[in-house]
Amino acid sequence: MQFIRQPVWGAFSPVKEVQQTERAIITNIQGYSIHDGPGIRTVVFFKGCPLRCKWCSNPENLVPSVQVGFVEKLCRQCGRCLKACPHAAIVPGQGIYRINQEKCVACGLCVQACYYDALVLYGEEMTAVEVFAKVRRDKMFFDSSGGGVTASGGEPLLHPRFLYELFAKCREEGIGTCVETCGHVATQAFATVLPVVDQFLFDLKHMDNEVHREYTGLPNHRILENARFLVEQNAEVLFRMPLIPGVNDSPENIEATASFMKSLGPGGMNLQLMPFHRLGQSKYDALKMKYEFENVALMEASGIEAVKDLFLSLGINCTISR
Amino acid sequence: MPGTIDFDLLEKIDNLELSELNKAWLKAMRAAPWRIYADREIWTVKSWRETEGEDLQIRRAKLLQCILDNIEIKIHPFDEIVGRPTPGVIGCPTAIDVCGDYIPGILEGSEEIEATLNASIKIDQEDLEILRESVKTFRGHTAPEMTHKAWHELVGSWARDLENAKLKDPSLDSAITAQSTSVLSWRKILAVGLRGYIEECRQKIDQFIADGQTDMNKVYFWKSAIIVLEAVINHARRYAALAREMAEKETDSAAKERLQKIAEVCEYVPEHPARNFHEALQSMAFCNLAKMLENPIQNYCHWGRADQYLYPYFINDLKNGVPLEKMASQLADLIGRWGTQTFISSSSQKESHQINFGINNIVVGGLNKDKEDASNELSYLILHLISLLKLSSPTVTVRWNKKTPKWLMKKAILTNMATRGGIPLFENDEVVISSFVRDGIPFEEAVEWCGLGCVYPCLPTRAEHYGAEGIAAINLAGILHLTLHNGIDVNGKQVGLKTGDPRNFRSFDELYEAFLKQHRHICHKVLWLGGVAREVQPNYLRLPLLSILGIEASMDLGQDLLFAHPDYSMFGISDRAIIDVADSLTAIKRIVYEKKIMTMDELLQVLDSNFAGEHGEEIRQICLAQPKYGNDIPEADEMVKRVSRDSAAIIRAYDNSPFRRFMVAREGLAWHYFGGLGVGALPNGRKAFEPLNDGSLSPMRGMDKNGPTAVLRSACNVNFNEESYVAVLNQKFSANILKSEESIDKLIAYTNAFLSNGGSHIQYNILDTEELKDAKRHPENYKDLIVRVGGFSAYFVQLSEPIQDDVIYRSEFSI
Repeated sequence: MQFIRQPVWGAFSPVKEVQQTERAIITNIQGYSIHDGPGIRTVVFFKGCPLRCKWCSNPENLVPSVQVGFVEKLCRQCGRCLKACPHAAIVPGQGIYRINQEKCVACGLCVQACYYDALVLYGEEMTAVEVFAKVRRDKMFFDSSGGGVTASGGEPLLHPRFLYELFAKCREEGIGTCVETCGHVATQAFATVLPVVDQFLFDLKHMDNEVHREYTGLPNHRILENARFLVEQNAEVLFRMPLIPGVNDSPENIEATASFMKSLGPGGMNLQLMPFHRLGQSKYDALKMKYEFENVALMEASGIEAVKDLFLSLGINCTISR
Repeated sequence: MPGTIDFDLLEKIDNLELSELNKAWLKAMRAAPWRIYADREIWTVKSWRETEGEDLQIRRAKLLQCILDNIEIKIHPFDEIVGRPTPGVIGCPTAIDVCGDYIPGILEGSEEIEATLNASIKIDQEDLEILRESVKTFRGHTAPEMTHKAWHELVGSWARDLENAKLKDPSLDSAITAQSTSVLSWRKILAVGLRGYIEECRQKIDQFIADGQTDMNKVYFWKSAIIVLEAVINHARRYAALAREMAEKETDSAAKERLQKIAEVCEYVPEHPARNFHEALQSMAFCNLAKMLENPIQNYCHWGRADQYLYPYFINDLKNGVPLEKMASQLADLIGRWGTQTFISSSSQKESHQINFGINNIVVGGLNKDKEDASNELSYLILHLISLLKLSSPTVTVRWNKKTPKWLMKKAILTNMATRGGIPLFENDEVVISSFVRDGIPFEEAVEWCGLGCVYPCLPTRAEHYGAEGIAAINLAGILHLTLHNGIDVNGKQVGLKTGDPRNFRSFDELYEAFLKQHRHICHKVLWLGGVAREVQPNYLRLPLLSILGIEASMDLGQDLLFAHPDYSMFGISDRAIIDVADSLTAIKRIVYEKKIMTMDELLQVLDSNFAGEHGEEIRQICLAQPKYGNDIPEADEMVKRVSRDSAAIIRAYDNSPFRRFMVAREGLAWHYFGGLGVGALPNGRKAFEPLNDGSLSPMRGMDKNGPTAVLRSACNVNFNEESYVAVLNQKFSANILKSEESIDKLIAYTNAFLSNGGSHIQYNILDTEELKDAKRHPENYKDLIVRVGGFSAYFVQLSEPIQDDVIYRSEFSI
């Protein structure tokens, strides 16, 4: 089943050789992931993202450096972290401890000292070889389910050479490869990984440039260009739309999304809706970040179905991720 | 019958609901008070007095006959299949003639007896008097009492000490209450009827005389069989007569018709071969009922491979126009009836097994003699009914093999979701068959294996003297505790061998050798006492009905199954808490001998203080931080392998001729709570008296931190298949992991990956709302519980409370 797609290169060229020294900061390697591509996946979460989507559920993956998080409710105020920290970055507070992020250098000593898993180290620098050694151990699950590895984050395409190296190794062993991307990266990054990616799970958040900027921090034109590039290159693309109540679920945006997708041709007609959830809340708390979507209500199942039906009526092959 | 599955029929099954009769039963069952009925004891006492001086085999047969001829019978308005051991919908018969004074407090008064039993079980004063009379009558005549005496002659109070130290499961007396559980020979019963058995017994006696044989015990056995089989036929006729009488008075025409049909069926079976599905089920109902009345203690109603032996009746009736709904209703009736049969276990057992309902087992799928998968539409129907009934029993075993069809797997997972509690479980057909074949069982016999109790594989042709050896299970964590304390148990008694003060051990290997030595010592004594119990038991008890209907070899041998025989006896031993022991040994090896973080003395002091003191918690955290099984860490997994291999070798080397080899079958139940009570703090970080690891291949509670695929990889690394018939792996998932069709497919793929890579057993506990709420309260026990949403990763326990509620909300509204 070895199959390397031969793209039409145009202005972009594939990488000639990659040294096996690529490094990236990885927050988690998660087995038995079942919503991130075909079959059973092992998801590799990369740290760092160009967007700042207000609804983001993985806030620990925004900043491209290692961070220490603090899960308040697990803290028993034993004070060991206080003693362990060489930078006096732990501040004893009213009944609880806090991290002074300005002083914290994320050395992880407090995390090691904590008995109660109240301190979490988000991110660890790893080489592609190390990541591959971990993910390949799940091969029996990939084989039985038609699954493989999914790069997620954060934005994995901020590390195209790392990704190329990792996925090329996966290909050699018959392990499937998917990328979850926000799309806001250099087109060259897509070109680099194109030959070794089975499927792109490509987010389309909003068609209106200004609204996009308001909710994600950046305009959408580069994203749309990259979407077009991938489809033109005959890449396998599944567009994904995080369905955010009151942000992108209006009929106008749905129609605009559908017509954009149709303009890409038959390769761009698949869409998966990702209903909004607030499960990332506790990670915002751990990082002392403000979650603007904290009080946004979950969408009713019927509302989600209605969006799906609308897409279907517009000729888009639409499903819901559950 | 691969390739010939009627998928339209499967679809019809999917749309089936419980019948009105089934629903009426469920309602009555849930509302019924749990009561002890002493009726059986009236007849055991009467018969026992009348038969004094006769041969024991005949006495026991007449005792059952007296019960079957006289015990109160009742037909409930929702019954289509008839026959219960008591008039109650939830009724519990007692077994004083078998177990002696086994119900604590029976002689003291009704308050005491209620206090020792499940609080909701009731008994009235009159029944209590009957029980007391029975206790007096059978004093000095039951196997448990006499075995205890024999043990006392040999080892003084040691047997009791061992019991108090919880070194075995659940206690020695459970071992000698004749738990010769066996699956009845359903195929033969349905094919020849009890009349066929009686004829065969007569021929055997004729042959005996013709040959001039001399062993009269054989003749008594066949005669005892004839007595009980005739009694079962008569018992059925009593029901027939009652049904006719009720039909006379019945004004509702549907009810009248049903009663007339019951009468007709009960006049024909179990005496004659079953001609259709209804008769087959009724015949089975009577045989199991008699089996239960012969020995009500833990004598469960096992189905065996129901989807195989019932299939011809099912499919023929369908062809002949019998409505599917009708057969489904009858089958659900019997499944429910057997699944809710209650029994009293002795107090020590109740602690361990926490059961009030008997645990019975029904098997679906699996290979046939041609090595093809034999799953059929009836397998599907059974799963469907299980998911509709949502009872805690029976346990359903899916015999998984590489040819198990996807439609069955899917139905099994859907059933799992409906029941939530680990039903069905998946057992690796190929592993079990090859284990039996390795131990000398012919393939044709091995391929018919089925489940006994929860996860225990057995052969319907053989008697599993489960517990009859006084052993059933050995608590390895308890043995480690003894090793660390020079043979002294948690109660301060020198129960074990003096293997030396561990403070003086210079190397890890020395400690490990001491552990094995301790293991051998305990194992030898326990197996020996078990052997003594086996010799004593048939002097006081016989089970003619179970022998003749359960063990086909009994017929030829002319022998009650309580006389163990290499042709049909099997002894399964479960060496438990391997994971806790291995993780503890890994921790000691690193902490004391390799990294020298502390001395053995320091470690033992902190263990004995249960991690109290200034540095107690710190040391516990160091213990917890050592490599743990379940995370795909070679060092931890290899220790498990080592303990597993060496422990199995000790058990299997024990020579208790003619049963030189014991089978090791590592099952579990709720034992980990009980077993933990006999074990102090362990070097793996577990606190004193806390539960041990559940199942036999599940990681230490909450210590599988690398997710569900790492657990299975560890389980594959360890692989008990060489040593044990079964290894129990429980996996917890919250229901939101199974929200879509696609995610169900993925769980199937996960299961297939594990089992096709040598895994032997897996079951899923789909956590319900209550359990998720418990996870909120006790995060330390649920560290491994994952939440899966696309592009998102989190452990449940790290979520804040409102978000945990979101997850609970999502779980409730999954499928």
